[in-house]
Amino acid sequence: MKISQFDVFFGLVLSTLALSLPFLNPTESLVHLTTLVLIWSIFAIGFDFVFGSLGMVSFGHASFLGVGGYALAIVTQRYGLPFSAGVGLAIVFGAAFALLFSFFALRVSGIFFALVTLALSQLFFILADSKLRSFTGGSDGISGVERPSLLGIDFFDPINYYWFVLVIYALVILLVVSLRSSPFGRVVEAIRTNEIRADQLGFNVNRYKQITFVISGGLSGLAGSLLASLLMYMNPQMLHWTTSGDVIIMTLLGGSGTLWGATIGVLAFEFLKDWLSSWTDYWYGVLGVIFMLVTIFVPRGIVGELARAFATRTHKRSQRASAPAVKQQQSTQNKQTQEVSL
Amino acid sequence: MLLFLLAAGLTLIFGMLGVINFAHGAVYMLGAYVSFAVGKYTGSFLMGVLAAITLTAVVGALVEKFTLRPLYDRPHFYQLILTFGLILVLADLVRAVWGSGYQEVPIPPLWNGTVDMLGSTIPVYRLFVIGLGVGVSALLYLVLEKSTFGMLVRAASSDAEMVRTLGLPVGSIRMAVFAVGCGLSGLAGAIAAPLFPVELGMATNTIIDCFIVVILGGLGNIRGAIAASLLVGMVRAIGYVYMPSWVDILTFVLLIATLLTRPQGLFHRTARTA
Repeated sequence: MKISQFDVFFGLVLSTLALSLPFLNPTESLVHLTTLVLIWSIFAIGFDFVFGSLGMVSFGHASFLGVGGYALAIVTQRYGLPFSAGVGLAIVFGAAFALLFSFFALRVSGIFFALVTLALSQLFFILADSKLRSFTGGSDGISGVERPSLLGIDFFDPINYYWFVLVIYALVILLVVSLRSSPFGRVVEAIRTNEIRADQLGFNVNRYKQITFVISGGLSGLAGSLLASLLMYMNPQMLHWTTSGDVIIMTLLGGSGTLWGATIGVLAFEFLKDWLSSWTDYWYGVLGVIFMLVTIFVPRGIVGELARAFATRTHKRSQRASAPAVKQQQSTQNKQTQEVSL
Repeated sequence: MLLFLLAAGLTLIFGMLGVINFAHGAVYMLGAYVSFAVGKYTGSFLMGVLAAITLTAVVGALVEKFTLRPLYDRPHFYQLILTFGLILVLADLVRAVWGSGYQEVPIPPLWNGTVDMLGSTIPVYRLFVIGLGVGVSALLYLVLEKSTFGMLVRAASSDAEMVRTLGLPVGSIRMAVFAVGCGLSGLAGAIAAPLFPVELGMATNTIIDCFIVVILGGLGNIRGAIAASLLVGMVRAIGYVYMPSWVDILTFVLLIATLLTRPQGLFHRTARTA
């Protein structure tokens, strides 16, 4: 993936917003919501790492998220390990599950891939929900999941925890950007555009897919542990396949395969949810309608469309060599707010 | 046999349109609720079933026409994802109309009895369901393989361009197939209503079972779906007798074993490539 001017610009806008939030005297619920958005973004970025760069729809990511959450909850509560070890194990477990899934799912392609991952993740949902009750607490879940302790900072304070998540989020973005622009990322890109050609060129397509999937699983596990820690609660619902559905909605809403798409999608999803659920009980249905419309009419997603608009504008501007940058910034932002409030 | 009715609709839609209908379970749920409401209002179970079939078929037709049609040229996953959105919409519509509680549908009095057969007692209604399943599968087979309409459908699925060039309405054929598939699911929902509590979880739970059957049978393979639904049904029935708590897991193990050995489904025949 090439980092375009647009990505840099958009990243600057987003990071300005994210960095200034704690100083704007936000309400506790806003901080909570934004932290939630960041964590889900990590999950969505992890998901999009497979979906956007390989075009494979996985319904198994709920499992990776859930297993990450459980890893943290169980390890810290039962074995008294520190938080950092819990998060580390969450990543390892997420990746390990992804590896396990890939043995089955990568034998098939296209729609079958989606179905196999769906079946596997449902298997783990049932296991966590009923079979392993003594271990996972069954449908009651596990409450009192830890927050990190580091340098004596109180991470039960929402703002401190927000900073913590923001730093991890930034690291994840850096990781994804560098992976995607690395030789490895180029090969993955080649596989997406023409799998047969990549195969003929001598690349081990399946191995590359597997590695991508495992990295994606690790990121999902990380997101799961952070989520459990934010909510201080973990239940099997996180593993249900509809969670995978949610993350697909988010990614597509924002624009899959783009750098900021996952984040914007989550942002749009969570704030729409927050806003819609304040005036109707049936927000999920309304969201479903919006989502269907987006699928049909805006398949590139919010960021995809913005990037295109930006590209054509800069193109025109370089032709005219005029139009101040400030104006452009405003219009892009306006467009974004328009589309978010759609 | 219920599983078969559901899987038949799903596999019909996939085989003929190449679309995986994620909302199939939601349509099934809609069918159950409609039959509950109409059955209660008119006092006739039959009316309820007919209303369920009609309504789900109409919903199917509308969905095909307005949402799926623009997506045929895009990669498969767009259709998959679209129908996922449809689940959310249908589920919340049902919740808005009927609330989120459980509903019960009484077994119609005509079928409310038991017969003794081979030393065990079987409710008549279950026999009726089995009979209906057999009838529908026979009908489906005849229509698809023997009638002119079935021929058209098969032609449209193997070469849509050619059929269109011959002046036949491919769009309408696809719409009809999707409507029939959804109608089958609605029928399944309606006749399942007296057997199980009618509730919202039907939408997301049923679809998984359906997928299992369809994968085992081979996507788009209706005969495979019959065999696979019998297989899954038997595995469950035997499992419930010997180790009730492991049944769901057993089903998935069966699925994974199949995928590892025969990814194309247990009943795949290379001749059929629809």
